[in-house]
Amino acid sequence: MEDDLISKKELLDLTGISYGQLYRWKRKQLIPEEWFIRKSTFTGQETFFPSMLIQARIRNILNMKDDLSLDELASRLSNTEGYSEIRLTKEAIIERNIVTDIAMSAYGPEVQSNEGLYSFEQLLHLYAADTLLARGEMSLDEGRLLLRTLEKHAGALTGKPCELYFVRKMGVALFLLAPSPAELYFDEGVRLVAKVTLGDLVEQLKGRLS
Amino acid sequence: MTEEDKELGQRPDLILNGVGSAAGGAYDKVLIDGVGKVEGSLNARLFKANGQIRVKGGLFTEGMEVNGIMSLGGPLRINTMKLDGILHIDGSVIGENCVLNGLMTAKGDCELEEFRGVGGFTIEGLLSAGHVDIRLEGAGQVHEIGVESLKVRQGDQSLWNRLLGGIIPKLKPMLTARVIEGDDLDLEYTNADVVRGNDVIIGEGCSVGLVEYRTGLTVHPGARIGKEVKTGD
Repeated sequence: MEDDLISKKELLDLTGISYGQLYRWKRKQLIPEEWFIRKSTFTGQETFFPSMLIQARIRNILNMKDDLSLDELASRLSNTEGYSEIRLTKEAIIERNIVTDIAMSAYGPEVQSNEGLYSFEQLLHLYAADTLLARGEMSLDEGRLLLRTLEKHAGALTGKPCELYFVRKMGVALFLLAPSPAELYFDEGVRLVAKVTLGDLVEQLKGRLS
Repeated sequence: MTEEDKELGQRPDLILNGVGSAAGGAYDKVLIDGVGKVEGSLNARLFKANGQIRVKGGLFTEGMEVNGIMSLGGPLRINTMKLDGILHIDGSVIGENCVLNGLMTAKGDCELEEFRGVGGFTIEGLLSAGHVDIRLEGAGQVHEIGVESLKVRQGDQSLWNRLLGGIIPKLKPMLTARVIEGDDLDLEYTNADVVRGNDVIIGEGCSVGLVEYRTGLTVHPGARIGKEVKTGD
């Protein structure tokens, strides 16, 4: 994930936005400060962005910009309102490539609510499991544990920045949900397999939905 | 008086005349004349100060007017600011509108919608603004600039200015930045490593290492450019 960076210049060429727009969006806090990553290159210091996140965010802004003012946009982007009404069928999810059909067939029946429709929250949980599966860090069975954890506790953390930790000790898998920024310290035998920011997942998922 | 004013009016005013000090806190109006010292952070609807003022914390205010010398120990959040004199900020500046007449230094970033005026400034972080229109009377030093439009001009070049500028480098009216990025850039007397923009005008007295432009580039014969590149399409 960390290596997947895009330089400012590439980003502007790719999306067709201008420097002025980029900086204005930053001032309006549509693009978080943390995404501006400074790195030294041979031409001096350059700014990079997390490729997936920034592109999804810019697509979102460009899509919504005509209907909303920037201030409205800022509040819209920071929450999941407007998506809470979403209900998708299994077929639509696979067709739109939101969650792979492997994850869908493995976990879909457990998560789905009545009439075979999926809400945004359920989609998010599936998407989280799918992301970890795709990275090859989690087995299918562990994914069930993850989904149960998310289902039970993610609700309590809605609206707060929150991180998902996946750790293993002697082959035993553990999931932790913690409000961020939190610093966790583990004993020596523990390996931190993956750390995912739920806000990022929401972002990516929104990008795929729109 | 609007409804909102009445509600805020319940907060007290802070008035310092002569030599005085205060602890800080939330006020409706803060009026300081003379030598004033505030030990903590200030939150005020209106901040007006004349003389020598020292605030050890941050300042959060809608309208700010300063005549004289002021130093601020924390961040500055403003709606509009009018400065005549010298302002030193030990933090970042976030606001809408700033009219400068004098010198401003900030340790952090400076994010404004509109920044115009006469004088000099030092910003150690990023200057990000909608529109910048500056007439330089002293040195302008910024680490990085990102704007929609930027216009830099040199102030009056009288004999005294030229003499003093030669002796004291701080008074030499030049804009120095590592990177300048923006849509419309209109520069004069600017030293920069990299300038990137859509429409770029490199005027008199500029010295730029690399210019990247998208639509247009105009260069004054008296300007020095290391390399120019047309980007996009």
